[in-house]
Amino acid sequence: MTTTGRGLFLLARAVLEKKVILWRRYWINTAFGFLGAYLFFAMIFFGGQAVAGAAITDTLDGIIVGFFLFSVAISAYHSTSGQVTREAQWGTLEQLYMSPSGMGTLMAVKTAVNICTSIAGGLVLLAMMLATTDQTLSIDAVTVVPLVVVTTLSVVGLGFVFAGFALLYKRIENVFQLLQFGLIALIATPVDGRAWLKALPLSQGSSLLQEAMTEGTRLWEFPAAELAVLVANGLCYLAVGYLTFHLLLRRARKLGVMGHY
Amino acid sequence: MTDSTDTTEPPESAIDRGGAARSEVRTGETVVSVSGLTKTYGSGDDRVLAVDGVGFEIDRGTVVGLLGPNGAGKTTAIKAMLGLVVPDEGSVTIEGIETTDAPRAVYRHVAAMLEGARNVYWRLTVRENLRFFARLGGHDPTETAVRERHDRLLEDLDLVAKADVPVNKLSRGMKQKTSLACTLARETSVVFLDEPTLGLDVESSLDLRAELRRLAERESITIVLSSHDMDVVEDVCDRVIIMDEGRVVADDSLEELVDVFRTQTYRVTVDGTLAPERRERLETEFGADDWTRVGDHQRFDATLRQGDDFYAMMDVVRESPCPLVTVTALEPDLEDVFLALTDRESGASGSGGSGEAAENGAAGTETETDAGSKPVGDDDPRTRTPRTEATDR
Repeated sequence: MTTTGRGLFLLARAVLEKKVILWRRYWINTAFGFLGAYLFFAMIFFGGQAVAGAAITDTLDGIIVGFFLFSVAISAYHSTSGQVTREAQWGTLEQLYMSPSGMGTLMAVKTAVNICTSIAGGLVLLAMMLATTDQTLSIDAVTVVPLVVVTTLSVVGLGFVFAGFALLYKRIENVFQLLQFGLIALIATPVDGRAWLKALPLSQGSSLLQEAMTEGTRLWEFPAAELAVLVANGLCYLAVGYLTFHLLLRRARKLGVMGHY
Repeated sequence: MTDSTDTTEPPESAIDRGGAARSEVRTGETVVSVSGLTKTYGSGDDRVLAVDGVGFEIDRGTVVGLLGPNGAGKTTAIKAMLGLVVPDEGSVTIEGIETTDAPRAVYRHVAAMLEGARNVYWRLTVRENLRFFARLGGHDPTETAVRERHDRLLEDLDLVAKADVPVNKLSRGMKQKTSLACTLARETSVVFLDEPTLGLDVESSLDLRAELRRLAERESITIVLSSHDMDVVEDVCDRVIIMDEGRVVADDSLEELVDVFRTQTYRVTVDGTLAPERRERLETEFGADDWTRVGDHQRFDATLRQGDDFYAMMDVVRESPCPLVTVTALEPDLEDVFLALTDRESGASGSGGSGEAAENGAAGTETETDAGSKPVGDDDPRTRTPRTEATDR
């Protein structure tokens, strides 16, 4: 293994091992995290059935896919933005900054691990939702996983932007809360017939994922242009987000507030 | 005794009069080189010059203490050296690598404990933290050599019994030690420690000091530590850099610094009360002050300008009907040096203050001599050897 490869492997292992240790050590918190998300879904499902009846059952597939994507997106977003602010609060951010692998590499590794764990958590939740609703969806890993990963990149990009602002302005948790509702709106945005909406984060990915999971469309069956838009969307948001984070981090270093909270 | 024994004007070896200090403790290979480091916060009326043209070099295996009052610029200087704060001007080279050009490369050689116990993950155990930070530094804790090093660190820092306890369940001292262990787990040749003994009990502080000395002596690790604890700096550091208002006001070995501030200050105790005219004479001719009554005794301090004054002063005292009880030579310690250099009321900060600082000669360690005898060391009071216990630390 090359020095760089070894460094990346060690970083990924460090990040993943820490995550797993904390999940296991605080298993009640972990379990209630899942349970909370599941109960939220159950409330929508059973409550919706009681109130709206067929309106809910007719669109159940879409709700399940949307909720699955929302759980993955919110987890990836929080893992990125929340993690940076928490590290600053804990006093460990400067230690991470002093990694010989570099902050950029470290954040990339953390993002990759976060997306993987978010998808894993989302899939568990998906299984619970399907079992509860007795629904079936097409879950072709070759199609679903790449779509979710690329879709999530845009949210990670937003996470970076907010992480950067949090370093500078510190307590901006209320903006995070607001953004959660924004994510729901983005997932529900109908992009068909309004091409410009595809430029929004999540929207294009949500649309393709709905089609893949409810209609069984495989990855290679999507028009190349649609996939290209999705990839460009994800990469653009990620790049702009990271660049913004980098600039705000530099600004925080210039102001001497990187490690403050 | 000659006039050369006059110590009220320190020699020019250590004290900086114009802002740029120089090191007198240069023995080997330079590991850290700082030049013209400047950092300002804010703008307009709120502009604060935190670090002002700081420059020095540090040799391998040296322990350097960075001292200064609150707001002196120590932490900003350390963070700027580490690239955690972007300086306005200046350059920092660590192990031959410019930190602003290649911070990642520098971080292979440098680790830092900046916020004490806050530098580690409190929900992980001590050993899990060690593993995490070792990996962060590019070391695989599954390798035997790395594992053995961790075991040794746990042993050296007396953390073996707590190795598998989450950090949030440890005492502050143990947390601090965990933080130090994690800093050392990165296996770097240069270590920065900001207030490493803050909040530690005496025993933990002593353990930590011993460990820092061991690291410097046996592993040739270069350590830069900032502290308000003079005892720590005196115990651990080979060299002291004193900062005030963002500038280096002194940079020398501990011995040299104390020596520069050594004055002919004596504490004289007599039985009874000296007559007012005799007291006035002592004040006028020998600068006697700090008059205190201690039971039946009267005590005063006098900072003499030249060696011969000692005998003249003793003559004045002996001529009185009050028997002389003790004469104590007051030796400065690092705290006196520090206060003299950083206390603007005393006039020692920055330019041209060293002479006045020496004259202030704040009371430090007392070295008691027999009543009526010559100062130990005969002709030159500066060369005297302490004869009895230190009392005023």
